[in-house]
Amino acid sequence: MEFAIQLVFSGISVGSVYALIAMGMVLTFWTTRVINFGHGSLLMVGALLTVVLGAGRLGFYKAALIALGITAVLMVLAERAAVRPLVKLAGSMGWIVSTLGLGIFLQGFAAKFFGSQAVAFPSLLFTNDDTIPFLGIRLSAQYLSILGLSLLIMFAMELFLRRSAWGRAVRAVAHDPDLSSIVGIPGRRVVVLSFAASGLLAGAAGIMTAQISGTIDPAFGFNLMVLGFVATVIGGMGSSIGALTGGIFLGVLEKLVGGYVSTAAQHGIAFAVLMIVLAVRPQGLFGKEEITKI
Amino acid sequence: MKRNMKTVVGILLMFFSAVIAVPVPGGVAMAADTIKIGMTSALTGPYNEYGEGNRRAVELAVQKWNKAGGINGKKIEIAMLLDDQLVPDRAVQNMRKILDNKEIVGIIGPAGSGPTLAVINMAAADGRPYMNPIAQTPTITYPNGTDKAPRANIFSFALQNNVEAIILGKYVAKRFKKVGLIHESTAYGVTGVDLIKKELKTAAKIEPVAVESYNQKDQDMTAQVLRLQKAGAAVVVCVGLGADLAVLRRNMGRLNFNVPLVASNGALSLPYWEGAKELVIGTKGSMIAVFGHEKLNPAAAEFAKAYKAKYGVDRWWGDDPKRPQIFMSLSVSNGYDAATILFEGIRRANSTDPKKIIKAIESIRNFQGVNALYSFSPQRHHAIEPDDLAMFEYVKTPTGSKLSIAKD
Repeated sequence: MEFAIQLVFSGISVGSVYALIAMGMVLTFWTTRVINFGHGSLLMVGALLTVVLGAGRLGFYKAALIALGITAVLMVLAERAAVRPLVKLAGSMGWIVSTLGLGIFLQGFAAKFFGSQAVAFPSLLFTNDDTIPFLGIRLSAQYLSILGLSLLIMFAMELFLRRSAWGRAVRAVAHDPDLSSIVGIPGRRVVVLSFAASGLLAGAAGIMTAQISGTIDPAFGFNLMVLGFVATVIGGMGSSIGALTGGIFLGVLEKLVGGYVSTAAQHGIAFAVLMIVLAVRPQGLFGKEEITKI
Repeated sequence: MKRNMKTVVGILLMFFSAVIAVPVPGGVAMAADTIKIGMTSALTGPYNEYGEGNRRAVELAVQKWNKAGGINGKKIEIAMLLDDQLVPDRAVQNMRKILDNKEIVGIIGPAGSGPTLAVINMAAADGRPYMNPIAQTPTITYPNGTDKAPRANIFSFALQNNVEAIILGKYVAKRFKKVGLIHESTAYGVTGVDLIKKELKTAAKIEPVAVESYNQKDQDMTAQVLRLQKAGAAVVVCVGLGADLAVLRRNMGRLNFNVPLVASNGALSLPYWEGAKELVIGTKGSMIAVFGHEKLNPAAAEFAKAYKAKYGVDRWWGDDPKRPQIFMSLSVSNGYDAATILFEGIRRANSTDPKKIIKAIESIRNFQGVNALYSFSPQRHHAIEPDDLAMFEYVKTPTGSKLSIAKD
């Protein structure tokens, strides 16, 4: 029983990392219908800048705040350079390549100027040994903090979308950008802010996750981004509840397969689920089926 | 929506499967009176720890020989230096380019088993002398088993898996009955663990209680650690790279699984030491012993001096300005020895004819390299033996931890 509980908790923990990444991807999808496949590299940038800037007099906490600001600004620039020109063309899927290219560019940039090798990342909030006893097992404080952050962000996103005027503006821009601008909604600003918020989330996810692995390198975040994308598809594009549910479902499934079937099979299961979801319920668990009037 | 998602996934799959070879300028082709060598390695990318280290090593060896007048009066030139990023497909493209250049006299191969296994048949069919600096899989040199004849033109300076398995297997079999094995899912990890299993059986008739695997760069190994814990492992033996070992060790710590961790040479790398932090204490790892010895052999001392003069105290050198880190024997000096033996073979052959060079290398006996004393023969094409290795252990110091040869 303890084995199963430990697997489920570890699945929830890992899943909350996927969820945090997925929610960052959802933010840009809300306003532009674009999934940023460079999101994983933004995780790396957030974590790497924290290490690089924090190594000096600045200290790691201030460095982390600056890194978050930089990831937000980077996403605004990315929207301008890699997304906006491509979404202007109706039906264009060029943003897939441009956002992936952005991610690879950031990896290359980091490798060129900071080296390709893994470097140590400090424990900022909790150490590796900080645990909380629960039902006979030890829950990692580092993972619990990510789970808490994911839940907090999901509630904040839902409240924002449903209860605030800006949330309604986001929905309007997502539904019809041209019509929303006619009625006076600052669509451009809404899009820019959604990208900045997505960058902020990516930076936060990178800083939180790097504390668990203990090291980062330029490729850090890329695999996590792919699993975050799978979580987004499972939960439903554009749904923050879906992103959280999809992430945690994926994490738990991975760990149960790893624990009871084979650790070699645990990663493959994510893509098997992706294929099943696309075939059976392409809108995901919480997404709404889109009907286009022709 | 459905169609869009399928398009997205389709484009992604195409993207991930695409490969691009990135050549790195390696110097301008010189007159025919130079000895030209070709090299493909992980010069950039996440594994350039090995590739870049070996590039430096080969350049150091070329510099040393050219300073002494070259080989029988001819200067040595790294005519082709290509980057494969440790990606097998890129390594194949690079090797094709090198082999198509008929002026190339000798080849230095990729920095890992995956790309090396991808190119080795091409290189063997070509027949020119090929030096394997790092790739640990023994079938690279001995395709039919280590007790059978080697490939005619392939020489290995790697810490072969079978050699490492003997040290690890014997060490563990002597001390533990319940052994849990874990390995990365690459050719290196799979063959390494298979050989350790064989060694455990031979040494003490031990069957591992569990064998688990992970992918390189996995951020979490909870399921693997829980399975090892559930199986009752009294020791965890891992074959993998340093950063992944750090993730494993941290997972063991989080799950309060405090059995000894014994690992392959990755345990001695900086990414493990930095990533696992204070948890490294007690970890044991096997490695070429040269830089752990109190007094360095003359070739090692000369190499260390030349490296420090050219590159300074960097990540390949390590933290201690006085002496190189132990891991340097696998990230730099192995490449230096590989190039040195190739040049020595050409010198002895006094020819660029592949068969004559190979015969000359096979005639080398008791040649003092950095990592070991080398002897080759038509039946023996590998450089490192179990006697050249030692088990190292992280011990606590007032300021943190340090590596020393394991006492028990």
